Amino acid sequence: MRWEVFRQDKRGDYHKHCGDIHAPDREMATLFAQIQHGRRMTTNSLWVVPSDEVTEIDTEDTAFGGRTDKAYRWATTYNVDASFAKEVEDSEKEQAAVERERGATASEGEGDD
Amino acid sequence: MGDLRSLADLSDEERTAAEALLFRLADDEFVLAERYTEWQVIAPTLESDLALSNIAQDELGHARVWYDALNRIGHTEQSLVWERDPGSFRHSTLVELPFEEGDWADAIVRSYLYDVAEDLRLDAVAESGVHELVDPIEKLRSEEEYHLQHAQQWLERLCDDADGLDHVQDATDRLFEHALTLWVPGPEAAAIEEYGLRGDSLASMRRQWLDTVGSFLESLGVTMPLDPEDDPADHRPAAVGRDGSHTDHWPRLHDDLTETYRELDRSDVRRLRGESA
Repeated sequence: MRWEVFRQDKRGDYHKHCGDIHAPDREMATLFAQIQHGRRMTTNSLWVVPSDEVTEIDTEDTAFGGRTDKAYRWATTYNVDASFAKEVEDSEKEQAAVERERGATASEGEGDD
Repeated sequence: MGDLRSLADLSDEERTAAEALLFRLADDEFVLAERYTEWQVIAPTLESDLALSNIAQDELGHARVWYDALNRIGHTEQSLVWERDPGSFRHSTLVELPFEEGDWADAIVRSYLYDVAEDLRLDAVAESGVHELVDPIEKLRSEEEYHLQHAQQWLERLCDDADGLDHVQDATDRLFEHALTLWVPGPEAAAIEEYGLRGDSLASMRRQWLDTVGSFLESLGVTMPLDPEDDPADHRPAAVGRDGSHTDHWPRLHDDLTETYRELDRSDVRRLRGESA
């Protein structure tokens, strides 16, 4: 039986997928996961989930975020000095990076047409 | 425990006793780790391979702790391992036996019998009143807990299957008398007790160990090779390890593990960067 393992570096962080393991049951899975995925990296916590229990939905199933123009969603559309709050500033930067990437993908797409 | 003493503060007699105790502890861990590593790459699954290798690394870490304490009272890396006569190693014969070819139950039963003993032994050492013996125990325990869980969970699953149970029974029959040597007194046994370096006697720990492993194994359908009224001394193998007598497997293993040292004509040993370096 296969299990997906998610590792959290430190308290409060997100659990990030770090790989899988094979184990006959939940108890053995937690035993093996500790060694395989929590031994070398700093680890605060692991989530161990039966692979079957993970439901996937991908770009073939849906258009993530829709297709029409929704520029009003993006924080970067608004001219706000966000330096007063680090989390807002971070969020803006993250958004800008996503947009740059989206732009690159879009123009690649256009080139292909 | 505010009144711990250091090895350096002990009288000569006390220190000699502490030294004998440290050799028992260190040699058990070192030789067991050496044997465990034989499973690397050939364990039943990748996961079990990594788990046992990790346990081997833990045991090597524990050997390092006890050898370091011996280092502090005048022993060197060479005299502790590389140039030491195999006949002066004090480990139990349980840890030196080769595994029955490809028999995973052998590794699991051995680990179970050993780890229950280690648990009791650490309790006793925690009462020694000596810094170098007491200080590392908490760290060691946090790793030992995993070893015991690992062995128990495997045993439960192996014994759930008729073929698996046969293998566990065979391994128990084969290993049990050697496991009893974990409790055989060695040099300085009387002094170790007299100076209070061991919080519990070997006989008392053996009783507790027999109770624990007996009830667990029997609950899984394993027949104990020893009746409750049997005298464990009647089940003692020809070589017991603790007094320097060993099975023929030990000199061979010792030869293997020191081969590179000899081949490269080494006379000094470099320590890898450690936590204390």
